[in-house]
Formats: sequence, C-alpha cells, structure tokens
Amino acid sequence: MLSRFSDVLQTAADVLAPPATRLEDFEYHWKMILNFYQNYDENSKLHVEETRIPHHLHQMLQLIVDEEKEQQGGTVGPCMEAIVQRSICLLDALCALAAAERPPGARALALTTGTALLRRTRQPCVNSAHVYRPLQRMLIQCNESPASPTEKEEVELLLTLCGLVRKEPGLANIFTTPFVEDKSTLLSIPEDIQKLIPIRSKIQTPKKNPLFEVELPPNPLRNVSIIRTGKDDGYNATSSSSADDNASCKSHKTVYDDNDKFLLIDLLLSYLNSADNQVVLRACEGIMIVSSLPEDDIANLVTSCSPACETIVDKLAAKYKCVPANVVASDVEHLNITWAYVAQDFGDKSYSKFHGYKELTSFFSWLDYCDTLMKECHPTIAAHLSRTFRQNFLEGVAENGITDLHHAVIVTAILAKCLKVVDSPDLINEFSNWLVGDGEVNEWPLLHTLINNCLTDNYELTLETLRFFETIIEKGTEHSIHRVVLGRVTSRGYFAPRAPDDDDERDRLNDLSLGREREYNREAMKQLQHEDHVNEQITDILSHEGLDPKVHDEGSENIHRVINSFLLLLPRAILSDPVGADYEHYIHDAHRRYQYWLDATSTFHWPSDYNWVDTTASSTHSYDSRPEADIHLDDAFEPLKPDHIVKNDPKHFSQKLVLRSRDLTSQTSEEEFDEGPFFKMIFKLLANMPNQPYQVNLHLTSIISQLALLPHPNLHEYLLNPMLPTAKKTPTLFKTLQEVARRLTMEIPRLRNFKKIIENTRLWLMSEDPTYDENADHNQLVESLIVLEEFCKELAAIAFVKYQHTLHMHR
Amino acid sequence: MAYAYLFKYIIIGDTGVGKSCLLLQFTDKRFQPVHDLTIGVEFGARMITIDGKQIKLQIWDTAGQEAFRSITRSYYRGAAGALLVYDITRRDTFNHLTTWLEDARQHSNSNMVIMLIGNKSDLESRREVKKEEGEAFAREHGLVFMETSAKTAANVEEAFINTAKEIYEKIQEGVFDINNEANGIKIGPQHSTAGGASGAGGAGAGGAAGGGCC
Repeated sequence: MLSRFSDVLQTAADVLAPPATRLEDFEYHWKMILNFYQNYDENSKLHVEETRIPHHLHQMLQLIVDEEKEQQGGTVGPCMEAIVQRSICLLDALCALAAAERPPGARALALTTGTALLRRTRQPCVNSAHVYRPLQRMLIQCNESPASPTEKEEVELLLTLCGLVRKEPGLANIFTTPFVEDKSTLLSIPEDIQKLIPIRSKIQTPKKNPLFEVELPPNPLRNVSIIRTGKDDGYNATSSSSADDNASCKSHKTVYDDNDKFLLIDLLLSYLNSADNQVVLRACEGIMIVSSLPEDDIANLVTSCSPACETIVDKLAAKYKCVPANVVASDVEHLNITWAYVAQDFGDKSYSKFHGYKELTSFFSWLDYCDTLMKECHPTIAAHLSRTFRQNFLEGVAENGITDLHHAVIVTAILAKCLKVVDSPDLINEFSNWLVGDGEVNEWPLLHTLINNCLTDNYELTLETLRFFETIIEKGTEHSIHRVVLGRVTSRGYFAPRAPDDDDERDRLNDLSLGREREYNREAMKQLQHEDHVNEQITDILSHEGLDPKVHDEGSENIHRVINSFLLLLPRAILSDPVGADYEHYIHDAHRRYQYWLDATSTFHWPSDYNWVDTTASSTHSYDSRPEADIHLDDAFEPLKPDHIVKNDPKHFSQKLVLRSRDLTSQTSEEEFDEGPFFKMIFKLLANMPNQPYQVNLHLTSIISQLALLPHPNLHEYLLNPMLPTAKKTPTLFKTLQEVARRLTMEIPRLRNFKKIIENTRLWLMSEDPTYDENADHNQLVESLIVLEEFCKELAAIAFVKYQHTLHMHR
Repeated sequence: MAYAYLFKYIIIGDTGVGKSCLLLQFTDKRFQPVHDLTIGVEFGARMITIDGKQIKLQIWDTAGQEAFRSITRSYYRGAAGALLVYDITRRDTFNHLTTWLEDARQHSNSNMVIMLIGNKSDLESRREVKKEEGEAFAREHGLVFMETSAKTAANVEEAFINTAKEIYEKIQEGVFDINNEANGIKIGPQHSTAGGASGAGGAGAGGAAGGGCC
C-alpha cells in the first residue's frame, strides 16, 4: 500500500517538475534498493517477492533495454555506462544478494536478473571487469553450495554466458586463468558493497571445491579485449568495444600450463551431477555450445585446461556400472534414446518398462550425448573425447565384462547396442580399433575372445556375440573390416585353378543331394519339374529386371548358374516353400542394402569393382586365370570413368600387382588356405546349423548375407561363387552350405510326418508370434531347414543384384 | 493426467520470428512482447483432445540463432512434429526456410510432420511475404501451411492441433511405428498396445531369414 502511494507521489512530482532523465530514474531505483538494505532487519521472514526489490530491479533492467534501443553505432547509454564504470554497482549488489540470500529468495532473484540483463540487451559489456567479475563471483559463490534450490537459475546464467561466448568467442578469455581471481577474492564481497548492503553473507566458511585451486597473485582490474592476438589473427570482433576508458588487456596465451583453468567449463561440469535432470540438461547444452566453437584455442582450453572429456566419460562409466547385472539382454536391443528428451521423460512416473530400464536409459542417453557432442564439437575435442572414451570406458571398464563369463552376455549386448547407436566417425573409429586392434597386429586378444565367445556352448552368449559382430560389420571402418573379414581373403589364396579335364567341379555341381534324389523316381520327376520351375522364375526375374534372357552371353549364363546353385541347394522334397513366391522381396531388399554398402564403402581403398565384373561368371567356364581378365577390363573401362581415378592411385596399382603375382604362385604350389579365425568361426557355426537354436542361425546367416553384399571383389567371389575353383581342403561358404543341405536331406525325411512339421514350423516362424519361443513343440532341425532355405534365396538375390549393378555400370 | 498418446514437437525457424511467443500463447494463452532470447531449448506442454482421445503435446522451443544450431539438431531426432516458423514482416526469414527444411529433413525421422507457419499476421501493414508465397512454398515441399499471430492468438491453437491431427492420422494409417519411441510418439498409460500393430509386423515373408537389415 505504501509503495503504491509513493508511486502516486512520483507521478505527481513528474507533473510539477520536468520528467527525470533515464539515468535519474535508474539512480532512483538504485537508491531505493540501497535504502531497503540499509534499513533491513535480518530477522525479517519476509520473502523477497513481497518486497519492492523485484520491482526496482525490473525497472532498472527495463531502463537499460530501453536506452539501448535508442543508441546508435555501438555506443553504450548512460545507464549501462554507470554499470561499466561501477558508479552504480548493480552487479556487485546482485552478487551480494545472491551470497546473503536476504530477504529469502534474493539469490534466485539476483541470478534471474543477471540472466535477463545478459539476454535482453544486445551489448551487455561482459568484457568489462565490472560486469564479468561480479558475474564470476556470483556463480562461484552459488556453486559453493552444491544441490542448492537455485541450481536451475545458476545453470541458466551459465548457459547464457555460454551463449555470449558462442557469439563472441573472445569472451572465453574472461573465464581463463589470468582473468579469474584467486578463490578467496572470488568468495568475498568487496568492502564498498558490504557498506552499501550491510547484510552478512550466508556463505562464511567456503567448502573445499577442487575446481578452484588456482593460486594467483591478485590482478589489477582489467578489461578483456575480445580482439585476440596470437594464432587467430583473422578473428576480429569489435561489437562490444564499450565506452569505458579502462586499458585493454590482451591475452597472449596460446600454451597452457597445468594450473590453468577454464572456469566456464569447470562450472558447467559441476552441474552434471545434479539430481535435477533439467539442470543436467542445461549444463550439457552449455558444454556443447562452448565445445562446438570453431576456435582452436578454445578447443585447446577445453581439452588441456579442463577435465571435461574425462568427466564426461567417467560419468558414462559410472552410469554403466549402475546397470543391474540381471538385465535381460533382449531388452537392451529395443531401446531408442535421444539424450535431449530424456530429462523430460524422466519426470514421468510411469516411465519404467522393465527391470533396469531407468539405468539403461540413463546410460544410453548419456552415450547419445557423448556421441552428439563428438559430432558437433571441434575436431580437437572430438579426438580427445573419443580417445578418453576408449581408455576410460571401453578399456577401463567394459573390457573385463567380456571375458567374465558371468556377465559376458549382458555386457556383449550392451556394447553391441553402444556400437549400433553411435554415429560420430571419431567414436566409431576408436570403438572399432578397440575391438580389432590398431594397425597391423597379428593377434588381438579382444577379437580373439569375441570369436571364442561365439563358439562356447552357451547359445545366449553366441547369440549376443553374433549380434555384436553384425554391428561391427554394419559399422565397419575400412580398417576393422579388413582386420576381421578381409585379412586373408585379399591374397586370393583360396583360389586354386585346376586342369580343365578335372571332373571334380562338375561332381560338385551335380551335388550328392540331387544325385540321391534322382534315385527315387517319383521324387526325381517332381524335382525336375521343380528345377524347371525355378529356372523359369529366374528367367522371369532376369527379364523383369531389364536383362534380356535371350541374349545368352557368358555373363548372363553364369549368373543363371550361380542363382541356380543357391536355389537348388535343397531338394524340393523337403522345401517348405517350393513355389518360392518371395524372390521379388529378396531382390528388393538386396538392392536397398547393396546401395547402402556402395555408399558406405565409397571412400574405402578397395579394388574397383571392374575387376570382378565376371568373377561370378568366367572362372568356371573357362578356367582362365583371372589376372588377364583384370587387365582386359581395367583397360577397357577405366578411361571411361574419370571420377574413379582416385581408386587408381599407385598404392592400388601395386596391390593389384601383388594380387596377380600371388595368383601365379598359387597356380604352381597349392598351399593350404587359412580363412582366418573369423571365417573359421562362421563356417563352424554354419555347419552346425541343424543343432543350433533358430535365433542363432538367423543372426549367423544375417552376418553372412551382410558380408556377401560388401563390394569387395575377393570377398565377393569367395562367398558368392559356387563354381569357384579351390583346393579340396579350402572351406567356402557354398561347400559348407552343401554339407548342411546334405545332412538335412538325410535327417529330415526320417522324421515322422515331416511334411506336416515343415509346414507348421514355417507358419509359426512367419507369424512372428512371440509365444512361439515358449512353445516346447518346435523342431530345431526343421527350423534350421527353413532358415537355410530362405538364406539361399537371399544369397541368390544378392548375387543377382550385384551382377545387375555391374551390368548397369558398364552400359 | 492420463493420456492416450504423447507427441513430441519442436518449433524451429530464424531468431525473432516469434517461436517462443507461439509456444507461450499455446500453453499459457498469453502474449509477452518482451521476451528473453532463447538459448538452447525451452520446454512447454499442453493436453489436447483429438477424436475423443486425450493427447499430450510436449513442445520444445528451439533457439533460432545459428550459434545454437548444434543443440537444436539434437532435438530433430525423436520429434514427431515440427512447426517451421517465419515472420511475414521479414523477407529474410522466409528466404531461410529452405535451409531449415534441409536441416530438419536431414536430422529427423522421415515421417516427421512439418507445418509451415507464417507468424505475425496481425502486422498486415508491414507484411513483406504474401500469403500466396507461403502457400506455394508449402505446396512445393509437401507441408501444411497456416498464418498465425502469437499476439492475437489467431490460428495458434489450429497450428498446434492440426499438426497433432496429422500425426494422429499417420498413426491410424500405420505409418508411424508407435512402439519405437525414436518417432517422438509415446503410448499413454490408459492405452495399451492396441492399434498400430500393422506398422510393426509388415516385414513380410522374408522376415524369417532376412532378419538383419541395415
């Protein structure tokens, strides 16, 4: 009531005397605030919102905003000037209010007023010592009492400062060592302010805060020039050259020593442990804003003068350790988490779907933050952060879990999911190198362990590790794919041409399963009809895809044979779907996935695909040595493709030469081909298909189909050419598949009522009925038959799509 | 309060076009002429009713300034709808729409519903962008278009609710896999797994062996 009365008086005074200038108004409100504190009774329980303080602060703020609108040419108006020159020490007063928290609620008010000043004005003159010092002091004093009720306001102010730094990177200097005072100064209130606002500070005995252990001699007050010298001469921002006369001080620092601090980041980091998710989110945003600045020296500040990367990764490790050990592995797979949305979701009480959900969500959202940060931040920070991720999380924490058989299943599932969701190239690189080893190491224990984990008799572990390998390939880098898959294949050591009169090849094609089938006459008729039907279908597909089946060139004949080999691998009698109605679906799918791989591997230094245009084809027909075909095709097509010249760099060329000379030697001495531990494991599991659970087989075949899609000439022929001449002992995909087919052909007809079982099993599997897993009635043998049957269609489709692609390339 | 669905929205567009004001008008039904610059992202929520169903809208109001784009990008992923806002009194904000759209399409899921909003329709005298231009842009890029005024509240409700309706229709059509939260849609506690199943099971016959897709 009294205050309203004074406003009325004020209005009356305005009528009698000429209206006050803006500065006079500003001074009036300032004096009202000081008056309040001069007469303040510290025992008063009155909340700050019940006083006139918010009103006066708001008016002062509004006056600054208003005067700025009228200012021209980057000058500062008289109110702001009063602050910069500290004739009105508004910001110091705010700092004292925040420290004293008198009247109750003053701290939040001081923080929001400071934030509003920075957000509403275009030129808050933060480079002036009289602005940044009180702000620093306010932040540090608030930070002294962690988990305070004003965390939100504190982090808002910090974030606002980050925003200012983002726009004027030179301002980062005010948070670095020479401009940050020592701790005791920062924690005290200047004497003149204590006289103006005589309230005792709430913070008396500063708690130990390791963030500010910098001991420096007190500096004279100085302004920070945002014109930086040194490395980035090009940078020049003059927009806030304020009206004050203080001598500018330039930061000459480009090298930092151990004692240097980057206060802004340090403060942000301290809020990452808040219990309030919104506060954490704001701190995360602040870190991202500062880290994404393009300036090299700010990036160096973040990596060398702050523990940012280490703190962020340690937090990830801590969240990882919180995940309960008995989480169900399959629950991990379906998580989809975006860091930025989690803070809000966690407010939802119904937000717990299964055991460990909250912990997993917390972990994966933090991982998503790390990943996003790495994508957005300066390359120096990304490199440092990804290295720290590998050392402090993967090697330091996660690695043990893979070898520890009690936890290997869940650890593998989580790590596979991690690799699946990350997207930042730096992170994928470090992750992959951790898995497969850096450079050319012979034996990499972790990779070895993973391969062995696939071969244990714990199918759950096999399954999760296969999933992991699926992701390792999907997220493969050139290096990791080489290490895991291509290492042995690039030598083409599997290739062993034989004399043309060798009938072995034909024997193999007229496969035992077919031969045996023919002995049963009735079945043989059906089989023959089936083969005709399949052939018709292939012709259909070929013509449908724009390939004229009437043109019987070598290529089309051979692709026909390749497709045939896969589609006729299993005899009709035991097929679950002899009609083969879904080839189109497989072809469509293969198209899409092949295009993905062409894009994903476009920067890899793999031999160009012209070399293998007819590997699916020519090697059986005439057992010619491929090198000649290479030369022929290289000569024929390379000049036409100037955009692929990169691929012809000398390194490549020599690789090809090596390849050729190797071919020559392998023709003379038939050394045993070692397919490497990974393929050994894959073939071993494949051969064991009839004894393995459906899910294992599903993921196993999925890995192989992924590999078959890779546009690498050697891998292509090794996996997709059933007619490839090899030494007898050399294992290939097709040989292994034949073995499995042989076994199924023998064993399945022995089952009672096998046709019905096959039919039912197929129906169940296709229905994707979740209750099926618990149904005790399923037949593993028949399930593996159906997987194999579908897998053959898939391989045929992949071979076809790749062939079609090369044709298109050469048209 | 119980809801059938929860939709996540983002508001994007140049700085100063009135994104925060639109949100404030929609959530609080008031207009605030002086508004603090948005840094990072602000949040608001409101319940609406579509087809007799309670739908909770969670809305993230993003910073328009280029400097904060790194943060904004994090929100594209996982949003079901976006309001792309320009200011009819500032031609440049209209000219930047293509960049915004590219950014949104690149970082969001392909089903995200985008609504184009020409804001400040109350300032007819200062208009620089004709309504027809907005309509043409929306047509060309397959967006829904509307002119609004955060000040007078004209069309503000409609903008948010029409976006929600479009998302709702997409759910009915099975376009959105509602079980995948990356789509920005969550099923509420009162609504079990009914509906939308058609979206998840459509993998076809190849599902048996074709498992791993990339």
